[in-house]
Amino acid sequence: MAKAAFCLVLALVSLPAFAQRLQGELDCKPTRTDFIYNCTVKLARNGEPLSGAQITVGADMPSMPMAHNVKPVKAKAGKAPGEYEATLDLEMLGEWAVKLRLAAPVKDQLILLYEFDEQGARQVRRGDRPPRK
Amino acid sequence: MILDLIQNSFDGLAMGAAYALLAVGFTLVFGVLRRVNLSYGPAIMVGCYAATWVSVAFHSNIVILLGVTILGSVLAGAYVEKLCFAPHRQGSAIAAMVASFALWMQFEEAVTLVMPKHLYDFPPMFEGGPLAVGPLLLRPEALVMLACAIVICAALQFLLARTRFGLAVRAVIDAPIAAQLAGINVPRVLLLVFLLASAVGGLAGWLIVSTYTQVTPMLGMWSTLKGLLAMMIGGLGSLRGAVVGGVALGLVEAHSQWFLGPQARDLIAYLLLFVLLAWRPRWMTTQSAS
Amino acid sequence: MDDYTVGILTNIGLISFIALSAYLLIIAGEMSFGQQGFFGVGAYTAGVATAMYGIPLPVAAVLAMGAGATAAFLVGLPTLRLRGLYFAMATLAAAEMFRIVFELLHFQRDIDGEPVGPDGTQGFRGIRWVFENGVEPEGFLALVWGMLAAVIVLFLLVERSRLGATLRMLGEDPELARLLGIHVERFKLGVAAVAGALAALGGALYAHHNTYIEPRNFDIMLGVHSLAYALIGGLGTVFGPLLGVLVDIGVLEGSRVFQGYRMIVFGGLVALLLILRPRGLLDERTVHWLKRRFA
Repeated sequence: MAKAAFCLVLALVSLPAFAQRLQGELDCKPTRTDFIYNCTVKLARNGEPLSGAQITVGADMPSMPMAHNVKPVKAKAGKAPGEYEATLDLEMLGEWAVKLRLAAPVKDQLILLYEFDEQGARQVRRGDRPPRK
Repeated sequence: MILDLIQNSFDGLAMGAAYALLAVGFTLVFGVLRRVNLSYGPAIMVGCYAATWVSVAFHSNIVILLGVTILGSVLAGAYVEKLCFAPHRQGSAIAAMVASFALWMQFEEAVTLVMPKHLYDFPPMFEGGPLAVGPLLLRPEALVMLACAIVICAALQFLLARTRFGLAVRAVIDAPIAAQLAGINVPRVLLLVFLLASAVGGLAGWLIVSTYTQVTPMLGMWSTLKGLLAMMIGGLGSLRGAVVGGVALGLVEAHSQWFLGPQARDLIAYLLLFVLLAWRPRWMTTQSAS
Repeated sequence: MDDYTVGILTNIGLISFIALSAYLLIIAGEMSFGQQGFFGVGAYTAGVATAMYGIPLPVAAVLAMGAGATAAFLVGLPTLRLRGLYFAMATLAAAEMFRIVFELLHFQRDIDGEPVGPDGTQGFRGIRWVFENGVEPEGFLALVWGMLAAVIVLFLLVERSRLGATLRMLGEDPELARLLGIHVERFKLGVAAVAGALAALGGALYAHHNTYIEPRNFDIMLGVHSLAYALIGGLGTVFGPLLGVLVDIGVLEGSRVFQGYRMIVFGGLVALLLILRPRGLLDERTVHWLKRRFA
């Protein structure tokens, strides 16, 4: 009995992580309404653009998790392969963790950090600590 | 190496002066009202944002902005006092604190609604860079900070020890019921102390934002944290302790950051507080407010 | 149930863990500004376990709880004799120290050619156990609420028992408790450890719901919020903190009318509410009244 349990645990532990290697990129343009952005999502898997995916786009603020619930929107297929369009309604400017949840062809989730301001969205790479305030 | 130490000590002293002022504001409220005001930093932030707005709209000079900052902080402070502290004067300290937290949330959102960018430039206190005094760099802002801290603390000491208002305050601290019976308008004294603390905080805020020339919505939480840290490091409840704590915090931060980087700076500051609290030397628990 | 509702309900469940953690300490007499530290410890421990070592989530959750309890014990031991604001600030300092440690933590393993693990301020991404094991959002929601329900049942049992009475007495009058032969220090440490484990469990679940955690998630805002939920919802019953969470996230998120003004409205409501009900909505008097009415 103990041996079976041990083997089970060993088997579970040695399962390789699902190597999906999803990459994503956001290109957002502000609209006439405050805090609403038209975003183009570029999705790729292992370097190849991934088309035909069902993506739901949501967002959360890193500094206040679980507090700002942005209504998730389903992304529509865009013009180029691997591109999708979605309109994001954020409550305020600043840094957002955009959540791309895929239902097909694989179930996965990708989180992209972007800084949203009046011009659009810039990717955030948090290097050194930001200034004191 | 010695030069670095001296330079860091000077910078640390300057920042410590700002922390000391923040701590003094906190101590005034804690010492007299026996309450923690979590909206202290956010009220200062409101003042700073008001000044930023004025600066963007009218390009006023830096001294006018000082007035606006103090005025904004005092008005925000009055709002906090009326809603969070006056109603719970004889009630629960915790309720007052949670209410002040609620107003902190209000201030933060209000400020980002009126000025939505994450970062705004604030005009500098002095144009031109630091002065070179021998091998050291002396920022004129630092001198102003130190001067303000010294003047304010002396003024407060005078106020508390030599004026009728100060007498009333001390009476309220030592024997609130007797003070009331003696005809002192206790609620009014408490309100005035609160506004005084907000004004001191506003000055501290102006010193900070005109030195760093930027304003962000994080300023509220940051000021509250630094004020609390400094107040507790120096020993809760005494003005002298607030100043000592502020200066100590500034010095510890300056040296830690130089030798070990910004994360270590904060880590060491918190560690210092934690260790002090765990050991609780007797000088940390003075309850008098002077 | 659509994605949005599932998301909100899951978040309500997750925050309830840390709100209950703060609540437990409050009724034992100590106000902690630092439960978010243990939430973070749980999140990172569970994330490392599942994403870097392939340990299944249930085991990882237990590991997280152990880590949370240990961390809480280590914080509780030096702060045993502290009261009131001193204790609160000590816990705040401790939680911030944990957070800064997370900022300095760079610990990654190469999994299939890609580095996986905490990367300081860049955060810890790729905690994808739920995806690798086919757990649907609704399934995860059920898991979170299932565990929360178990915790609530435990709380209710304790509140009715002698243990619960001891706990509340510890909060009200520790001197009396000591006179009655209760080992106040040992008790407090035990409570601290349990509260730490509870927060850590919430953190572990949060990490797997979000698939990405970073030190900023565990800052003071989270801690003060969790304390506020407990204090607003009321300290009379375990349902108090839950009510506090529901009021903020549930009601105000649901009504999109308050878009952009949510905090202002919520903050004002809370301040006004506290004037009327300083001990929260479901305070001890109300709960007592309710029990008499319906029991």
